[in-house]
Amino acid sequence: MFIDMHVHPAFYEPINGDSRKEDLRHDALDIHLNGTAPLEHIFNQMSCAGLDRLCLLPQDYRREYGEPLVANEEIKALVDLAPDKFIGFAGVDPLHKDAEEDLEYAFEELGLRGLKLHPSRQHFYPSDERLAKIYDICEAYKKPIVFHSGLSWEPNTFSKYSRPVEFEELAALRPGLKICLAHFGWPWVQETAMLMLKYPNVYADTGILYFDNAWEFYKKVFTQDIPASWIDRSLRHQVMFGSNNPRFEQIRMADALTKLGFRESTLELVKGKNAVEFLGGL
Amino acid sequence: MVVLKSITILTETYNQFIRITEKIEDAVRESGIQNGMVHVISKHTTTGIMVNESLECLESDIEDFLGRLAPEEGHYAHARMLRDYGSTAGNPTGHLKAHITGNHCHLIIQDGEVVKGGAQEVYFCEFDGPAKRTVLIQAAGE
Repeated sequence: MFIDMHVHPAFYEPINGDSRKEDLRHDALDIHLNGTAPLEHIFNQMSCAGLDRLCLLPQDYRREYGEPLVANEEIKALVDLAPDKFIGFAGVDPLHKDAEEDLEYAFEELGLRGLKLHPSRQHFYPSDERLAKIYDICEAYKKPIVFHSGLSWEPNTFSKYSRPVEFEELAALRPGLKICLAHFGWPWVQETAMLMLKYPNVYADTGILYFDNAWEFYKKVFTQDIPASWIDRSLRHQVMFGSNNPRFEQIRMADALTKLGFRESTLELVKGKNAVEFLGGL
Repeated sequence: MVVLKSITILTETYNQFIRITEKIEDAVRESGIQNGMVHVISKHTTTGIMVNESLECLESDIEDFLGRLAPEEGHYAHARMLRDYGSTAGNPTGHLKAHITGNHCHLIIQDGEVVKGGAQEVYFCEFDGPAKRTVLIQAAGE
């Protein structure tokens, strides 16, 4: 089982009938010249990468735009189109007045499998007490949270909110809440490794490709910035493959992952078993 | 008279050769043009249009040949974050292969039909798939 835990379906054809919304998504995400993708193309891409499942992440920056960029209902609609391929996450703008109600609806009625938050874009620190009820809901429903962490290419984002060390208090105070630091917290990958070493409820995904090509960048980050042995020996149950597609190259990243020198059993964990554990089952 | 037709191709693999001769012949017949030229042009920069013999062995040789000229493990400057796209460039080999094959071909229309040699087939060449691609077929004449 090979799962990509970090996919943004903002430009999937079935949710892009409205050209105004599509234009808004291009501008708000700063992703251009990519067009929209029919699901058949997505499945071809999955086949080339060897992927079995994609975890689809919404984007709700409602206080900025007055509407979600990709709504929970759209994620649910996509999952319904390919339930054997897609895993759907919920999104809320956590400081919006409707956030708690929306989240309960997303878990209860839409059946979404976890929550995606973006501290850098939504301008909050993970330890902000105003998010306590959001975290309570996730714990009550036993749903994990994927947090953006480290550099974000999106506009109106500030890295200070999502530096890995900012997640320590949350990880320590809520050991029953599984959290994933997306993008491995790059460039602070050693801080991310530190948190994962200390807190078993902290996971990270591999959705980074800011310099060079996929193999060169993965080799730099996962064999030099942190040695491959750190993941292979100590963090092997907490790292999940993620591509951050469409910003980054899913197929080449999936291939690069296999060349890092991990044991085969570690590779199986990173490719899928850790994601299944993080999600609480498929 | 000039008649333009656009066709969409969903490619399935990283590198792929797809015969499109029949689509060109259909477009010419639909155009009603009896004598002139048909221009076949890819809208992309990591794809090609080529005319060659349709043999499995030749497709394999051409793919190997292009792969030797632009090996995947080569050192390329086109491997960086692109501000205009908001994404990382990782397809230099596709651009280089497309540069070699070219993005177009031209064939003669005579008596309403495409004129070509007995061994000639027109291929759409994917060098950065899978992807959704567009090819323009313009028939021009009288």
